[in-house]
Amino acid sequence: MTRFKTPLYILAIAFVVFAGWMVRARAVSMLSIDFDEDDYLRASQEYAHLIRTSDWSGFLETNYRPEHPPLAKIVMGLSLLSTPEEALTPDAATTAGPNSHLPRALLTPARTINAIFGTLTVFLLAIFDPLAGLLLATHTFTIKYVSQVMLEALPALTSLVTVLAYVQSKKGKARTNWLVASAVFLGLTAASKYLYCLVAVAILIDWFWDEKQKGNLRPFYTQALLWGIFSILVFFATDPYLWPAPIERLKESVLYHAGYSTGASEVKNADYPIWQPFVWVTMSPTQWHPGVFLVAPDFFITLFAIFGIRHLWKKQRVFAFWLAIAFLFLLVWPTKWPQYILMLTVPLSFSASQGIRQVWLNGMEWWKDRKSREKIKYNPRETRQAIPWLIPGLIAFTLLTLLPFIFQLAVSVTDFNRLSIRDGFQGGIWREFLGGITGQIAAIQPEFPFDSNKVQFTGLASYGPVFDFITGSGVLVFNIIWASVSIALQTTLGLGLALLLHQKGVRFGKFWQAIFILPWAIPELIGALLWLNIFVPDVGFLALAAQKYGAGFPFNFLIGWERTPNLWFFVLLIPAIWYGFPLIMLASSAGLKMIPTDVFEAAAIDGATIWETFRYITLPLLMPLLLPALIIRAIFAFNQFYLLWAFQYWKQQSSTLALLSYNLFNPSGPFNGQFSASAIVNIITVIILIGFVALFNRETRSKEELKNA
Amino acid sequence: MRKIPLLRQILTQGIFLLVSVLILIPIWGTIRLAFDGALIGRPTQFSFLPKEFSFAPFLKVLDKPYQSVQFEVLLKNSLIVSFGAAALALVLGASLAYAFARFRFPGQKTGLFILLLAALLPPIAFATPLYIILSLLKVRTTLFGLIIVYAAFAMPFAIWNLRAAFQAVPKEVEEAAYLDGAGHFKSFLLINLPIALPAISVTALIAFLMGYTEFAIGWLFVDKADNVTLSMATYALVYGQFSGAQPWSDLGALAIIMSVPVIVIFIIFQRTLMERMLFQET
Repeated sequence: MTRFKTPLYILAIAFVVFAGWMVRARAVSMLSIDFDEDDYLRASQEYAHLIRTSDWSGFLETNYRPEHPPLAKIVMGLSLLSTPEEALTPDAATTAGPNSHLPRALLTPARTINAIFGTLTVFLLAIFDPLAGLLLATHTFTIKYVSQVMLEALPALTSLVTVLAYVQSKKGKARTNWLVASAVFLGLTAASKYLYCLVAVAILIDWFWDEKQKGNLRPFYTQALLWGIFSILVFFATDPYLWPAPIERLKESVLYHAGYSTGASEVKNADYPIWQPFVWVTMSPTQWHPGVFLVAPDFFITLFAIFGIRHLWKKQRVFAFWLAIAFLFLLVWPTKWPQYILMLTVPLSFSASQGIRQVWLNGMEWWKDRKSREKIKYNPRETRQAIPWLIPGLIAFTLLTLLPFIFQLAVSVTDFNRLSIRDGFQGGIWREFLGGITGQIAAIQPEFPFDSNKVQFTGLASYGPVFDFITGSGVLVFNIIWASVSIALQTTLGLGLALLLHQKGVRFGKFWQAIFILPWAIPELIGALLWLNIFVPDVGFLALAAQKYGAGFPFNFLIGWERTPNLWFFVLLIPAIWYGFPLIMLASSAGLKMIPTDVFEAAAIDGATIWETFRYITLPLLMPLLLPALIIRAIFAFNQFYLLWAFQYWKQQSSTLALLSYNLFNPSGPFNGQFSASAIVNIITVIILIGFVALFNRETRSKEELKNA
Repeated sequence: MRKIPLLRQILTQGIFLLVSVLILIPIWGTIRLAFDGALIGRPTQFSFLPKEFSFAPFLKVLDKPYQSVQFEVLLKNSLIVSFGAAALALVLGASLAYAFARFRFPGQKTGLFILLLAALLPPIAFATPLYIILSLLKVRTTLFGLIIVYAAFAMPFAIWNLRAAFQAVPKEVEEAAYLDGAGHFKSFLLINLPIALPAISVTALIAFLMGYTEFAIGWLFVDKADNVTLSMATYALVYGQFSGAQPWSDLGALAIIMSVPVIVIFIIFQRTLMERMLFQET
């Protein structure tokens, strides 16, 4: 490590570690007591007692909450040795709420030892990449769960060491030693919390990938096997509870999780949607613990992590595997507690640091190139000629479109709501807006929902809470997932049908096409109604058919769709796809007609299979033509309003930003007319759409180039 | 390329049949309701065919579909609002569209970007400020207010597409007109407009349909039964139907009456409508 010598580098690491420690220490003393802390405190107390009384054989039979292996609990028990012994925390069911009477004298050392592990994790990551370390240091969910009496801190640290040791082993020097080290730490990870062992999968895939490229897989199998066996040995050695009856107790603890995830009432009651892990990584628990966190960068870390994933793949593939596998696991696994995301916040921070670097580098390049970009020369005469044409249109456009939008900006920095509507109409909005931005009126910070009957200037104070709301309630994530899944399925169906119709000699093509475009021709309101007639709970055709055909009816699983978020999502997707695919089918058909037939003939002569022709000829030629259309449809899916609006008569599980804005605004709606919050949601929508439109412009340009070529 | 083998033909037709069934199920469900004369409230038993085939629901909604408002009034309101909004959007937007299509001037790129962005914003993003502005002007609950609102929704889209239409007019034709001594205005009126007319009418059609099918934001603005449009009434019936106050066959009938003209238009103009709706250049 030659870079270690740079003093700046050391300084950066020192700063990151210092910052990480400070926010964790703050969290240790300020965080309110959470679920499960009483359980793990009791477990630690038991171990502390065993050590105090030198009852070493007691370790064989002690493991409170035996579904989790004992190492992290033992280590927390060590931290309690210096404290006076207190009565054992009472036993409580897993469904019990947080026990707020835990003695601070015990809570603080147990939390502190975790915070130290948390800071060590930051330190290790910072050595590897200081920026990533800083991001991990400030990630609020990470801070929360490594500063409470939870089991996350230690395995999060050991799993990172496992991966870092493996990465070192790839450099060739002292390879065996590093591999042994990584196996040891994998074993320790397993002895703390099973979940974090997913890093082993990432390592094995990466390892396999490397060896496969070298061409000889035989050494991989033996080495990986040894590595695995060694880590299992370490796991057994550090889990004394297993010693008396290894197989039986291991089976018991592992099976517990399978049963818990599908049977436990608290998992059922929480009823999180499949995509809930995405919600956890885009929100911050600031609402749960007001005042604890100084900054809440979680959303932006995830955003930059998305930008950085490609470079993460190039630079440290194993971290990319880690991130992907952990996400996949969390999506599939039915239990979706927020603390689980700690197993991926390390690679997430790393990816985000790559993303920030890329954005920075691209920005610098753009700035440097500004002179070399050709300036369009405008002909002053032509400009003058354009003016009379521009003016009338501009006036109309400004009055109807721009002015409302500026008005929206003004509303967003006030607390304008239904109760202050009279004052607002009498010029209150402009009074507060102008007074506020010129500094004559001081910004106030009212509580949301706003209920003042005079308009008041709030500055940007409501932006934070509204943003917290749309991330914390999962609306933003739902909206993005809704748009992606909907457009993906529409494209599959639309493109598939277009390809089938495009085959030479297909009978009745025109007839089928006329049927396929029907849903598009039906107004969205009517389309929603058609599906409502089917899906309405209890009285719709679905319910009637289920009544008539009884248990043999194949769609019985859809009954009760309005009560669970996953089925609700599925049921709403049906009309969305039904309504959206015809346009994509038409666009694909038009695109397919533009591809010259001789390329297909050439492919046929070369003996290409149908799949090969599609994969290597049709798709690459069609995609540039189709992409702009897909982006437009994705935007419409993102803004989907009428369909969800029609379906929200029954229980509302989530909504798009457009629907949220409507509901916030509606004076007789569920929020009683929160005009300013609605304006902020609209502004956020605009910001997101700017990204979409920029993408559309780029793809359109490349499409034009392709057409002209 | 040879014609496809028989097996693939059969397979393809099978898939088409399956997809068609899935598409037609909800449509059939509602048609079945609309022609069911025996239905009093909601259907209580599942059946594929109406119990008693009849046109009664149609006759009923063609008289007084919503509260005591007559069908003609609803249709008239709908037509006034949609025509008004489309005309306003097109007339006011045309000059801007022409400027963007024919001249190069500073800020053009940014302008286009804003235009496209505005065209892709959800209508609700305009509706909220307009609500307040139109309330101030005391026209919020009138048909005129609705015209303004729907024109605001349609205008960015109209400008963007009119621009594409004007751009498609060959420049040579226009230059020939200049040589003959025509100014920009004259050539716009006599050359561009007629040549671009088909594309303009399709844009107008879409702008019209935006107003014709909108209902949610209409309900936000209008609170007088007399100023309700057809699609707003349709939606009011949806609530009425599912709360049990309205027979399901009424709504089915009204839905069919409302959508048949639109479906015909879409099938005739499918290719052009598709291009306009996907913001493609022509």
